[in-house]
Amino acid sequence: MENIITSGLQQGFIYGFMALGVLLTFRILGFPDLTVEGSFPLGAAITAKAIVVGADPLLAVLLGALAGGVAGAATGLMHTRMKVNNILAGILTTSAIYTVMLRTMGRPNIPLLTNENFFDRILRLFNITEGTLSLIQYKTVTITLLFVMVLTARLLLGWFLKTDLGLAVRATGDNEKMIRSLGVNTDNTKLLTLIISNFMVALSGALASQSQGFADVGMGIGVLVASIASVIVGEMLFGSRGLSMLLTGAILGSVIYRALLALGLRLNLPAEDFKAVTAILVLLALFLPNIKTRTQKPLSLPQVTENKEKEVGQE
Amino acid sequence: MIKLTNVYKVFFPNTSNEVLALNNINLDLNPGDFITIIGSNGAGKSTFLKVLAGIELPDAGKVELAGKDVTAYPEYLRAKDIGRIDQDPLASTASEMTIEENLAMAYKRGQVRGLRWAITSNKEKLFKEVLAEVGLGLENRLRVPVRTLSGGQRQALALVIATLAEPKLLLLDEHTAALDPKTAKQIMDLTGKIVSSKKLTTLMIPHNMEQAIKFGNRLMMMHRGQLILDLGHEEKSMLTVPQLVERFSTASGTAFDDDRVLLAT
Ligand SMILES: Nc1ncnc2c1ncn2[C@@H]1O[C@H](COP(=O)(O)OP(=O)(O)OP(=O)(O)O)[C@@H](O)[C@H]1O
Ligand SMILES: [Mg+2]
Repeated sequence: MENIITSGLQQGFIYGFMALGVLLTFRILGFPDLTVEGSFPLGAAITAKAIVVGADPLLAVLLGALAGGVAGAATGLMHTRMKVNNILAGILTTSAIYTVMLRTMGRPNIPLLTNENFFDRILRLFNITEGTLSLIQYKTVTITLLFVMVLTARLLLGWFLKTDLGLAVRATGDNEKMIRSLGVNTDNTKLLTLIISNFMVALSGALASQSQGFADVGMGIGVLVASIASVIVGEMLFGSRGLSMLLTGAILGSVIYRALLALGLRLNLPAEDFKAVTAILVLLALFLPNIKTRTQKPLSLPQVTENKEKEVGQE
Repeated sequence: MIKLTNVYKVFFPNTSNEVLALNNINLDLNPGDFITIIGSNGAGKSTFLKVLAGIELPDAGKVELAGKDVTAYPEYLRAKDIGRIDQDPLASTASEMTIEENLAMAYKRGQVRGLRWAITSNKEKLFKEVLAEVGLGLENRLRVPVRTLSGGQRQALALVIATLAEPKLLLLDEHTAALDPKTAKQIMDLTGKIVSSKKLTTLMIPHNMEQAIKFGNRLMMMHRGQLILDLGHEEKSMLTVPQLVERFSTASGTAFDDDRVLLAT
């Protein structure tokens, strides 16, 4: 039981950054950004490589997150400047990322168990060496640290979305024509949002590599669906109305989702089935509200912008 | 102040579906002009307003705004000077955002948007004042998402959004068409009030002939992409609806074929 809770909290907070990023693009911007399946392992790969060549883990994690921002920019530029369809742009970036990861790491996988990791490095900032803590203490400290970090991200994002620029971002997802008529270049708001989102997703990947002790090119498979599941769980429990609820819900949804996975493992459920089960649950969550009230919008994830763009074109 | 010279707009050029939506439009607007534009379906009225707003760019000709050549400016670069409302109440407001957030975005029309709180107590005070003038009680519902408003309330809010930053030009494309007659009249009266109190230069495609006569100081007719009639204030204020239809037939050489505009109230 204790394991399920600690694992849920630790993993949930780590993947909470990603849930926030996915919420930002899919839900707020209405942009189904598949780049995240690439920027998640990219964050891990860049961080791992930086650490094995001797970089400070703090810097390494920052570099990993920045690489995600670059990936988001690539997708954003393809979509806004070269008019590539949003889903295809994300797929193209993700595909290219695999080459970048293999080239950077030199192989598909880097183990990190012998290197000082991000969490130990932070402890060292406070003059604590890992060896002096019991396992439980160590877990508590890392969970607290992750909690503070994800809470900070949540608060920053909440603040950003209430600034003049943030309002323009939200309106780009809500009514693109309207905000354009008020003088906003929506290409730029989309680009900015994709950068922020993928920065957070890659940060999530970087921290995941630190917590599990390796980076692997395959670790991004299924993370998008898992994040969508987290966002949906958050929406179901905390409501989808109101920005604060959505943001907090995404993180708590992520914790609950990760705790459920830990529970599944504890019950010896076959781990290889989890991805399919998650996919089916997401499908049901999107589909069921649809058959109950056909007139109402289903849980609005994912909102695809294609229709809106067609409208603009047809004017 | 606003000037169009030899403006053309062609859709589907060089195909069998080619449409000459704007055919050599020339127009010189005086500041403070309130022009109503009528014409049958497909005459090019909406396209005309869209070319002014930069939603459609002309294929030939020149568009000047406040002495600046803006012919090639996309919509977002002209937005500082132009307020626009569409006939669809969903089009001019952001549904999932609150009334005050919609107004805060309008407050920043055409300006650089940075990382300051979008809503401050000063702005809230201002928003309450302007909404109170509208007289629909919206000033007490600042934090309510726009999605919960009625079509009329949304168009009233759209009017406030379009005029909050005092644009140089206001474009209204049948902005009361989707409303019931009573609400439509309310919104039209409000439009007249705001336009005259702020002395806004306005181009309006009215929803019916009566509006065309009742509002504004100048009336224009469009037919097949051309401006075929331009009536000044005196001439226009004497007209009745049947006379106006008659003038249209004479000028265009065809019967006015738009029942909707004729009969709508
Ligand atoms: N985006 C577009 N693509 C192709 N053709 C268009 C487009 N917009 C307008 N047209 C065509 O241009 C012509 C003028 O259309 P417009 O919408 O300007 O007419 P209107 O005077 O506003 O008519 P209505 O009274 O029906 O609103 C029509 O023949 C229309 O089919
Ligand atoms: Mg029209």
